[in-house]
Amino acid sequence: MRTLTCILCHQQILVLLRAEPDSLRDWVERWQPARFHLCVAATVLGAGIYGAVMGSWRDPWQALYTGIKLPLVILLTTLGNAALNAMLAPLLGLNLGFRHCLMVILMTFTIAAIMLAGFSPIAAFIVWNMPPLTAATGLTSPEYGFLQLTLVAFIAYAGVMGNLCLAPLLRIWSGRAVTARNVLLAWLTMNLLLGSQICWVLRPFIWDPSRPVEFLGPEFLRGSFYETVFEAFRRLIFP
Amino acid sequence: MSDTSPIPPFIPPQIPGQNRPAPNPPLGDNPGERVPIGGFVAAIETMLREPRRLMYQLRQQSAGSLILRLLIIAVLCSAIYGVVVGTFSRGVQLWAAPVKIAAGLLVAGLICLPSLYIFSCLSGSQARLMEVFGLVASLLTLMTVLLIGFAPVAWVFSQSTNSVPAMGALHLVFWAVSTFFGLRFLTTGFTHLSAAFDGGLKVWIAIFLLVVLQMTTALRPIVGTAETFWPAEKKFFVSHWIESLK
Repeated sequence: MRTLTCILCHQQILVLLRAEPDSLRDWVERWQPARFHLCVAATVLGAGIYGAVMGSWRDPWQALYTGIKLPLVILLTTLGNAALNAMLAPLLGLNLGFRHCLMVILMTFTIAAIMLAGFSPIAAFIVWNMPPLTAATGLTSPEYGFLQLTLVAFIAYAGVMGNLCLAPLLRIWSGRAVTARNVLLAWLTMNLLLGSQICWVLRPFIWDPSRPVEFLGPEFLRGSFYETVFEAFRRLIFP
Repeated sequence: MSDTSPIPPFIPPQIPGQNRPAPNPPLGDNPGERVPIGGFVAAIETMLREPRRLMYQLRQQSAGSLILRLLIIAVLCSAIYGVVVGTFSRGVQLWAAPVKIAAGLLVAGLICLPSLYIFSCLSGSQARLMEVFGLVASLLTLMTVLLIGFAPVAWVFSQSTNSVPAMGALHLVFWAVSTFFGLRFLTTGFTHLSAAFDGGLKVWIAIFLLVVLQMTTALRPIVGTAETFWPAEKKFFVSHWIESLK
């Protein structure tokens, strides 16, 4: 029975990854709790594996914490923006219901999370090749910069690809490429806005040089991602 | 597996008159638009998904109860968003911000209502004051319902940052997006009032935006804190923003 369930889950995941508009449409239209749970489980597992790889450079405990936090970021972003995304879609010309919108966005994140799971061995290889965290490896060292950028690039690529898989489906529903693009851009913008801030609140993901390994840093509710970026730009332009 | 089984083609119903260059038939042509709207949730749903139905219902003689419902929704939603705004400073702001936001929006709508009605008359519309009032109520409702959608995002930021200008700017962006959609609804509604508006509506929109922006300064503090409930000094909103950024 368990083997059969695994096979069925595997097939469902493949259907999702192929991202054929007809199949995706069926997933969204025919609400099935099992599919919803599968999406949540795949997101937790996929993003969790990648998160664990990210944190493993620092410490096994950091691997566990980041493995929990990365899926949490995705799920909190999906839930936090659910109502807004469902309002924006009809206002931009795509008459989708709340549940449809939620499912579509969850599927997007699921595809991204599965892709991240696929990138995990590569990320693990990069982490393994990095010099260990010692006094010689600081925040400004090129190795740390390379590690940070590579890991973030994988996440960005998976996120973009997940959304691109969704685009044909939105185009079919709306009947117009412009409407599909507008809805996609609106969702992307809001998910990026909230997702970055949730990441900021749940930091550190890789390490904090001044602190021991911990689930949340002491300044988790201080400042915002965008203020920090703005401040960095300000320092760059007006040193 | 059902994933590969053929399913009937599903195209979600389009929203007429929103993004399509298709001709704009008179309101009520579609029998579905004549179905009365009952309840609060139905009013919100109709506003988001069937704006033409709402516009048609607002033109009926019995639109009073619908307008009242819209206003109640607007007050409730703005108060809820106000609580989220108030969580930034906590304390007195937890009740002061909702009161100020809800009252400010209602007063701004009421202040601008006569000018909109006069503009509509000047442009040859036969619209009754009640119809114009209904459109303003819809504008406020759509704005505040959308603000509720932004509320979780605003809450996350308000718990993280201590910067009043950053939070103020974020709330302004959310307000701007909500107002854009609200004004789009209002503009579409006016095309059905047989009003040849020319520049009249654009002027009114500019006035409305100025009034609401000034209201944020007249009722300050909404985001931060102050010793008094009302501001001790009168200011133009631009000067207030510049001072806040210093």
